Amino acid sequence: MRKLLLLALAGAAAWAADSCVDCHSKLEGAQQAPATAFTADIHRRAGFSCADCHGGDRSTSDMDASMSKARGFRGKIARKDVPQLCARCHSDANLIHKHKPQQRVDQYAQYQTSVHGKKLAAGDTAAANCVDCHSVHDIREVKNALSPVHPLRLPETCARCHADAAKMAKYKLDTHQFEQYRKSVHWEALAKRGDLSAPSCASCHGNHGAAPPQVSSVAAVCGTCHVLFEDLYKKSPHQPVFAAMGAGGCVVCHENHGIVKPSTEMLAGARSVCVQCHDAASAGGATAAKMAEQIGKLSAALDKSDGILRRARESGMEISEAQLKQIEGRENLIKSRVAVHAFQVAAVEKPVNDGMVIAGETWKAGENALKERDWRRVGLAAALVTILVTMTGLGLAIRSIERRPEAVDNPTGR
Amino acid sequence: MAEERRTLVRWLLGGGFSASVVSFLYPAIRFMSPPAVPDAAVNEVSAGRVQDFKPNSGKIVKFGSRPALLIRAGDSEWRAYSAICTHLNCTVQFQESSHQIWCACHNGFYDLNGKVVSGPPPNPLEEYAVRVRGDEVVISRRA
Repeated sequence: MRKLLLLALAGAAAWAADSCVDCHSKLEGAQQAPATAFTADIHRRAGFSCADCHGGDRSTSDMDASMSKARGFRGKIARKDVPQLCARCHSDANLIHKHKPQQRVDQYAQYQTSVHGKKLAAGDTAAANCVDCHSVHDIREVKNALSPVHPLRLPETCARCHADAAKMAKYKLDTHQFEQYRKSVHWEALAKRGDLSAPSCASCHGNHGAAPPQVSSVAAVCGTCHVLFEDLYKKSPHQPVFAAMGAGGCVVCHENHGIVKPSTEMLAGARSVCVQCHDAASAGGATAAKMAEQIGKLSAALDKSDGILRRARESGMEISEAQLKQIEGRENLIKSRVAVHAFQVAAVEKPVNDGMVIAGETWKAGENALKERDWRRVGLAAALVTILVTMTGLGLAIRSIERRPEAVDNPTGR
Repeated sequence: MAEERRTLVRWLLGGGFSASVVSFLYPAIRFMSPPAVPDAAVNEVSAGRVQDFKPNSGKIVKFGSRPALLIRAGDSEWRAYSAICTHLNCTVQFQESSHQIWCACHNGFYDLNGKVVSGPPPNPLEEYAVRVRGDEVVISRRA
């Protein structure tokens, strides 16, 4: 308890002595803003103050003394000096480990390998540095939803520069990446489904070491998540051809930022991506068409089975075994789509054939369930008719009994 | 008086007959076109007997109309998860060699806590509770 009290007093004394915040809080506009923003900054919570970056002496309220060069005051940090300034602490393992033992300390080393870092080192001060992404004075942890580098906000943060045609003009860079990314399956997973593990800019380009993946490493970058596709692609006839063409593996068919949900339409027909290189009448075109046909056949068979199973379930029939089998069938459909990346009909045929067997079985199960339902309906109808006939007979019998007293009262019938 | 009583009995009989017809026909009509209701939720299933599972093995068991993966990680260490991969709904399986849960569709791996290790699955597997009652292994949804 005594220890806690001492700690609290020490903390209070430390803040009471921060003349930077004390004075700047009383100022207005641009001079007040850093002091206000700093209240939310992670560094403040860790006990750091303005003077740790800007220099000076926070312990004195004398303005001239606190901001004197003699006491190390640096004032506004030049853009070219920001990464090194941050690295003073963030590359110091001993210091960082006191606050966050698991945090990496190689951000600056990575930054120096990035396009941003190289540009800055070459004297281009417009190149992004730490504060352009992490903000300044109100820096928050990455997992904080308000942080500009939180997974949900990162694409917009990158887009602040990369979607700005004026800023990108001198680098001759396209500015449509964010617009394309927002149409992709990755964006859908991230923004619409809230899946924070979905890929965004840094997943493929890196964060501190941000750079475009080289053509030769595109498949490896995609393969960090899509492992099987990478394996199949590397063994496929396309790999050496694309490499010789200087084309970037996966992106040849799927694009890079605007990756949409793949479908069999990508293989054959008006929206085929294969026709970029293969004439429909060529061997490659025929292979693509055959693969599309196989996948389409399985998909249609599974849809048909789904339909009959749904009707059976809606009729109150127990079809859980068939539903389980159907999941297996759908799995084969997914496997057949994966197998496309081997670019061989035989590779696609195997899961398709397995799936067709399952689709046949589940269709039969659904058909049997509906036959059973129809038998039950016939049985019910027969029971109802019997009951109705019995009831009608009873009604007639009661009526005939009701008539009898009249016959007794008037035996002559006059 | 007798006439009035007879009329009353006739009304009662007629009413009863009509009500009976309606009560027979209504369930029959409902049987013919039942309302679309979702599957009844299954909260607990018996997965089998303890001796059916050897240590370091996994088995897919039926949990309602969906598959569940029961893993016997050690002699008395049991785990159960929904066997539906969180990526594209394929059925996952226990891989004895790596001691992990594997999805064959896109090579996704989960650890024995159901957390994603590698590959495209976005979320962990739904975990079920496992209890051993006598020599019976029971899987149930977590409250």
